Amino acid sequence: MKSSTGNILSFSNLGIGFESGKFRRLLLPPLTGSADKGELIAVIGKNGIGKSTLLRTFAGLQAPLTGELTIDGKNIAEFSRMGLSARIGYISTEIIRVSNMKVYDLVSLGRFPHTNWLGRIDRSDNEVIIDSIAKTGMTEFRERPVTELSDGERQRAMIAMVLAQDAGIMLMDEPTAFLDLSSKFEIIQLLHELTRTREKTIIFSTHDLATAVSQADKIWLLKEDGLAEGAPEDLMLNGSFKTLFYETKVKFDSRDGSFSFRNVEKGRIFVRGEGELKQWTEKALSRAGYAVVETDSAGEVEVPSQLNSRWKCKVPGYSLEFESIYDLVSWIRRNDSIS
Amino acid sequence: MSSIKQQSQVTQLSANKSGAIFGGLTILLILLFILDLFLGSVTIRPGEIIRAIFNNSDETTRTILTQFRLPKAITALLVGIALSISGLQMQTLFRNPMAGPYVLGLSSGASLGVAFVILGFSSDLSPESIRGFGNWAIAAASWAGAGLVMLFIMIISSRIKNIMTVLILGIMLSSAISAIVSIMQYFSNETMLKAYIIWTMGSLGNLTASQLNVMIVSVAAGVILSLISVKMLNALLLGENYARSIGLDVKRSRFLIIAGTSILTGTITAFCGPIGFIGIAVPHLARIILRTSDHKILIPGTILAGALVMLLSDIISQMPGSDNTLPVNSVTALIGIPVVIWVILHDQRHRDIF
Repeated sequence: MKSSTGNILSFSNLGIGFESGKFRRLLLPPLTGSADKGELIAVIGKNGIGKSTLLRTFAGLQAPLTGELTIDGKNIAEFSRMGLSARIGYISTEIIRVSNMKVYDLVSLGRFPHTNWLGRIDRSDNEVIIDSIAKTGMTEFRERPVTELSDGERQRAMIAMVLAQDAGIMLMDEPTAFLDLSSKFEIIQLLHELTRTREKTIIFSTHDLATAVSQADKIWLLKEDGLAEGAPEDLMLNGSFKTLFYETKVKFDSRDGSFSFRNVEKGRIFVRGEGELKQWTEKALSRAGYAVVETDSAGEVEVPSQLNSRWKCKVPGYSLEFESIYDLVSWIRRNDSIS
Repeated sequence: MSSIKQQSQVTQLSANKSGAIFGGLTILLILLFILDLFLGSVTIRPGEIIRAIFNNSDETTRTILTQFRLPKAITALLVGIALSISGLQMQTLFRNPMAGPYVLGLSSGASLGVAFVILGFSSDLSPESIRGFGNWAIAAASWAGAGLVMLFIMIISSRIKNIMTVLILGIMLSSAISAIVSIMQYFSNETMLKAYIIWTMGSLGNLTASQLNVMIVSVAAGVILSLISVKMLNALLLGENYARSIGLDVKRSRFLIIAGTSILTGTITAFCGPIGFIGIAVPHLARIILRTSDHKILIPGTILAGALVMLLSDIISQMPGSDNTLPVNSVTALIGIPVVIWVILHDQRHRDIF
């Protein structure tokens, strides 16, 4: 079924971890997996499980402790540092703070493996740099010092630098870690686009499962017992995600790949009505700790309709009306009488 | 396509601008160099210099010019160039804007090397026989001393990220080295002690021709090493991880940069004694003037600015119009320290000064 010959990156029985002298710490059981050209791959796992170490090993910043890791069909140990850099680009979570360094300067450093001993930028290098900056939407920031960029802009500049490096594989450690929601979406969108238009293989680690599930072609799920590989949907169906959160309070909805906190159930409630009003009312009630049920139950809330602009709440002993969802939920919280 | 054209215009513009800055600095440098030849305890009129060049002035003027003024001006030039490049390389290598050959103890390390050569050898030593060791031996001992300190700081900075902590450890290190030198002085005999004290008082003015030759060759070697390191220094600005991931052989470049810095600082300390605050301050001046982080521009800029500042310090130390002279150390400190203070205060706001 799986042939490792066409893979741009593949690893089998790969042991990752730290080694200095006699001290040796293997982080995970041996890992096996592969990446194809043009794939967007998300590395997922708990904090401290070894996502960064895996990416650093791919980048050649740490040596594999056991097993085999091949890039373009060749063992990683056979590459020179320069040769490896021409194939693999890497962005860590480290923030670059160099004053007087402009975006153009930063991106031009990506040409390092391709320039002469003095690092001279010639016409063709310049074209690659300009193109990389344009591709990441940073053209208007070209002469801006990197220290004056926002988190999202800086991440774009870093991506432009790795693009200028002209490597087939791009590794990114938590590219969306410091970003607000819209920048986060834009960055992932950009990565997705680069895999399609530039045939880059992009491997990124993330905590944002919803994004990973919706955008990635493949997921590498790191767990204590090793690596689970597959399309997000495969992992969804075989239950890999559920075991990831087995002990925690996170609830995974395998229908849409969304996550929510599992609260202690205080009681059951039925919401009568339809549309957005029903949906948001249900959301607020479940946050307050109530399970929303589909059938009539002792507790019932009727959302506003044309006839009535208020929320009606009927529980044994009470029948009340509220101006807003906030008032409704606060009252219910104060009187844990629905059961 | 149009954006590429636009970009090349932008680079053209900034190239013109830095070209103008370099031109201005060079003219200023030539003027200061000539001024340095005129001024001193005996003021020489411009006409006499021209006559001295054409070899028909009186003997005294010519002797003053060729035996004293010219070697001293050249020494000032070399000192400024060497210490400033050392400072720039250290600041980039350690990613520490407060790094410099004097504050981090390289100068002390170099003097320890010299102390070993002068104080550590046989007891029947006369000041004349120090000459016998040869200037190269003293220079090499300085390089070794500076290099050891450089390695030590390298190890510290790879473990401790806090800039100020590294600085304090550097100061501790120089104090410890001074203590060792004091102990060595205590146990050495009178002649050796005298020879060493004379060495520590070394200034720009009393270099022999052969010492000047050693200095010119060594500084040239150091400058060449720094030019070879331009691309590496640029990559190191990003920190070790990024530098490696874009293709830098970090070990090799560290070796080259440490070697270059040790040769430059060691040589200057061997023949002129410890001179402070040029190495730390001049690179910042160059950054302020040139507004770039690119070492292709910063290194030539630092060379020019370093030579300029040192010539200026020398001129000030001559106290034109008076018979007295000031120690050149004090002058460089008074010029350098305000720049360092500015950098520290600036850092409070940005925390990313280079």
